[in-house]
Amino acid sequence: MELLKTALSRRRFLKASSAAGALGAVGFGSGALTRLREAEAQVHTTTFETRITKNICHQCPARCGIDVYTTNGRVHAIYGTTEHPISNGKLCPKGPLGTYILYDPDRFKGPMKRTNPNKGRNEDPGFVPISWDEALDTVAERLNHLRDQGESHRFTLAYGRGWGASCAGLQGTFGALYGSPNVAIGHSSMCSDGSIISKKALDGVGGYNAYDYANANMLLMFGVGFLEAFRPYNNNMQVWGYIRGVKVPKTRITAVDIHLNTTLAGSDRALLIKPGTDGALALAIAHVILTEGLWERPFVGDFHDGVNRFKSGERVDPELFEEKWVKGLIDWWNLELKDRTPAWAAEVTSLYVRDILATAREFGSTRPSIALFERGAHAHSNGVLNGMAIHALNALVGSLYAKGGLMSQMGPSYGPMPVDAKDFMDDYAQNGPWKTQPRIDLKGHKDGYLLANNMLQELGPNSLAGHPYKLDTIMFYQTNPIWTAPNGQVWEEALKELFVIDTSPFPGETAMFADLILPDHTYLERLQDAPTYPFQGWPLTQLRVPAIPPLYDTKYFGDTLIEIGKRIKGPMSDYYKALGDTENVIRHLAKGFEADPGDNGVKDFESWKEKGVWYKKPYVYRYEDGEFRKWDGEDYGILMTDDEVKAEIFKTSSGKFELRSGWLEENADWIAEKTGRTRDTLMIPHWEEPKHPGGGDLYMVTPKVAMHAEGRGANIPVAIATLQPVLGGRSTAYIEINPRTARERGIANGARVRLRSELGSIEGYCKYFEGCRPDTIVFPMEHGHWAMGRWAKGRLPEHCGEITVNQSDRITGQCSYYTTKVSIEAV
Amino acid sequence: MAKWGMVIDLDKCTGCQACTTACTMENNRLPGENWQDVLFYHEGTYPNVKLMWFPRPCMHCENASCVSVCPTKATYKDPDGGFVLMDYNKCIGCKYCQVACPYGVRFYVDERAIVQPDIRGVFPSDTDRVWDPPYKGPHDDPARGIGIQPHGVVSKCTFCYHKVSKAPKGVPDLDEDIPALKEYVPACVRVCPPKARFFGDLDQPNSRVNRLIADNRGVRLKDHTGNKPQVYYLSGGATASVPSLRSSRASGQA
Repeated sequence: MELLKTALSRRRFLKASSAAGALGAVGFGSGALTRLREAEAQVHTTTFETRITKNICHQCPARCGIDVYTTNGRVHAIYGTTEHPISNGKLCPKGPLGTYILYDPDRFKGPMKRTNPNKGRNEDPGFVPISWDEALDTVAERLNHLRDQGESHRFTLAYGRGWGASCAGLQGTFGALYGSPNVAIGHSSMCSDGSIISKKALDGVGGYNAYDYANANMLLMFGVGFLEAFRPYNNNMQVWGYIRGVKVPKTRITAVDIHLNTTLAGSDRALLIKPGTDGALALAIAHVILTEGLWERPFVGDFHDGVNRFKSGERVDPELFEEKWVKGLIDWWNLELKDRTPAWAAEVTSLYVRDILATAREFGSTRPSIALFERGAHAHSNGVLNGMAIHALNALVGSLYAKGGLMSQMGPSYGPMPVDAKDFMDDYAQNGPWKTQPRIDLKGHKDGYLLANNMLQELGPNSLAGHPYKLDTIMFYQTNPIWTAPNGQVWEEALKELFVIDTSPFPGETAMFADLILPDHTYLERLQDAPTYPFQGWPLTQLRVPAIPPLYDTKYFGDTLIEIGKRIKGPMSDYYKALGDTENVIRHLAKGFEADPGDNGVKDFESWKEKGVWYKKPYVYRYEDGEFRKWDGEDYGILMTDDEVKAEIFKTSSGKFELRSGWLEENADWIAEKTGRTRDTLMIPHWEEPKHPGGGDLYMVTPKVAMHAEGRGANIPVAIATLQPVLGGRSTAYIEINPRTARERGIANGARVRLRSELGSIEGYCKYFEGCRPDTIVFPMEHGHWAMGRWAKGRLPEHCGEITVNQSDRITGQCSYYTTKVSIEAV
Repeated sequence: MAKWGMVIDLDKCTGCQACTTACTMENNRLPGENWQDVLFYHEGTYPNVKLMWFPRPCMHCENASCVSVCPTKATYKDPDGGFVLMDYNKCIGCKYCQVACPYGVRFYVDERAIVQPDIRGVFPSDTDRVWDPPYKGPHDDPARGIGIQPHGVVSKCTFCYHKVSKAPKGVPDLDEDIPALKEYVPACVRVCPPKARFFGDLDQPNSRVNRLIADNRGVRLKDHTGNKPQVYYLSGGATASVPSLRSSRASGQA
């Protein structure tokens, strides 16, 4: 039926056809006219059944509980779970992206093997589908062979965003039973170990902190991107709405960063600091707190006679000061702080003296106050010192374990695993030659990173160099180091030599070098547990419940690992047969809730599945008026002894918050040798000029932004279109440059530019932004993928990692992503 | 007969764009077809630079310019609830409404896609809609502009009519924190992490939205146009304020 190409005709037609209700395509012409099937016109669909399942968002580490809406087998909506303590029914901008991730047309559809032996960016892997049995048998055969040869250490499992006991939690056991020190190696050094380890140096705990923001009256933030990236982002914003819009008194906020972002814009005071100098600012703040007598005496201690003797430039007699919960304050003052005046810090940081003074006075005189920091402050060669200087501020104002302060996170009451791995260890597992092998990343080794937790960024380069040895087989879970490691080009060469197994549900740069693809489910298809990242301290763990059966022939990574384990010779296979599958593991974890039901009534597997979360308030420890107390069921009524504080709160050799770090002092020989720091001061928070490699004249900082959906955002069109609202980057991400800096180099606003470091060059488009420091260029780490999918491919700017030098903090092992200097020129 | 309105507290908004992506998900919008957008501005010279943002849904005006100019009555004011809606069956794609709207909240997508390759080619429709993604929601009511539009029409925010219109009668406010009401709350309001958004009945004097407007000096955008938006903005507690058509002197126009 051909209709007249006029709107009037169409409307008449629709009126008629809706009465007739006839089916059949209508042949409208192109152009402005609407083409509707008759049956589509004016039909209002009303009857359908929607099912809601519980899950946890996957787009960042925060672990927001989500309700997943499925109608007629299609997932179409995601909202925060109202009864979930982190999400509270809300979502950050990344939360709704889950539907796109599930139905990403570029997903791997099943297990595959490589047919092209040549590996490279321009080599088609020639992946062909295989069965799961063939895939798992292939892996097991390699692993059994290595073990037979006494070379099981040459198998590595490297992982990024592990979630819980049913995935990443299974890996360590696998390594112990199989016999490899390299199973598993996490990505924490490429994440934020600089934060964890600089805190460990002082408080002995070694974990990310939990924070009680809602009761704080001042927040001092160093490079955390509180309103862009800091976890739990969704809850941070909920708290922000409360502390800035509801709470009386309104919480004061000072934010320190290297460019103007939404966090700085929303704060009372924005400090645009020179990259890598956050520690200098923190030292000056400490100086002012002491000279002006603003420290928290019940926590820190005081001069015997109450007379403040902290005077700029003057030493203090340690005998005159009685310390309470800190150790080494007077040493810190005499060796470092006495000269760290605001005027000195102004020179180092490029900030104004008046701003440093005002910040210090406000922080020192407002209780409770929290100093928080992440990668912006510590991803530099001096990172551990910056981190220690900032964290020490929390001690000076008595915020540790205080109401409105910060604390450590408690774990969930999980039940034991179905069987004990210790009963399944053969002689090889207990005494095999692998026992004497160092880790491939030289973590914990004096030639490498003695004090680090992980050194994933060293793994590729070390294997390539054969130092300490060459790997044979490497398996990846939730990590894509060719793209995420600095100078990932080295990883490309390293992976050419190895048998590579990737388990991502999606194509990526590392997957393109894989010999086997064993694709995981996407998160909305998984049954997976995930204890909380540090949140508010009290224990919390949650569950992903599949919204729909897997769309493709994929397998949950935890089950892939168990199935491989079943195929390893010896008692190891019996262990994995006894585990059965991840659902059995999760059911056993949930048995722990029977004895310790959650506040929401979750007491077993079924109720956990229904509510999606188990948690138990309140937090057990509280510092108040000079004492540490424990929860007695009704109040913080149990006074803790010094020994209890040492065992549970400050896990240092002194049982105190060590401003003079005993842990660093124990390793003074090694630290002095590897860092060149002097033995007199290497154990205290002090200023050290950061080393900026790369050979350029501008700092390059590549932050995570709000729309960065971990591992997948670059291939989601909706995320791409909203990635960079400040500069209007809707199909590209602009490189921020201060107009003055650009004009000096003859670079026009919007021009295509080339960034160059000693490693090479990348291109992209720049935009003028007065909120960017003139000595720094900024752009989000997001685009530049060449193998992630159709939308990611070739999108500018090219990848910052290719010009980021692989330099790490020698103490924390933190990969210094934000410290390379580059040059910029118009193309 | 409710008159639904929205209040956005600019002191609490963090500029995160959760409203934008939740709307895009709930209403099956194309990348960049941001019915609910957040606009960013900056001014000043380093180091004293001001960065601002402004969340902007359709204002669902009482005297909507778009409704006045529409030659086919495709866009109309629903008397029951006060929604400004689109009838895709009547729209001829002339875009007068886009030009007439003072707020820039109307969209025409039959153009080159912002993000290439065009997702419409990846998920084509076999029923002559603009596209048909597998994650499409179940609600489809072309006479109210709900569901994926056909080609050649203008689209716009519906105030999540498919949710709000099912709310229990007489409810003064749709608060997402009340479990029994959350499914009736517009997507942008429901997800807003800092709780910068409130949704309720402007015709009920004691609704929370009216209280917020009164207590916190709610203002409407471009009030001088006489469009009389049903979206109010709160920004700061100062009593000094720009006179608006809501003040008693102008109330004769209501």
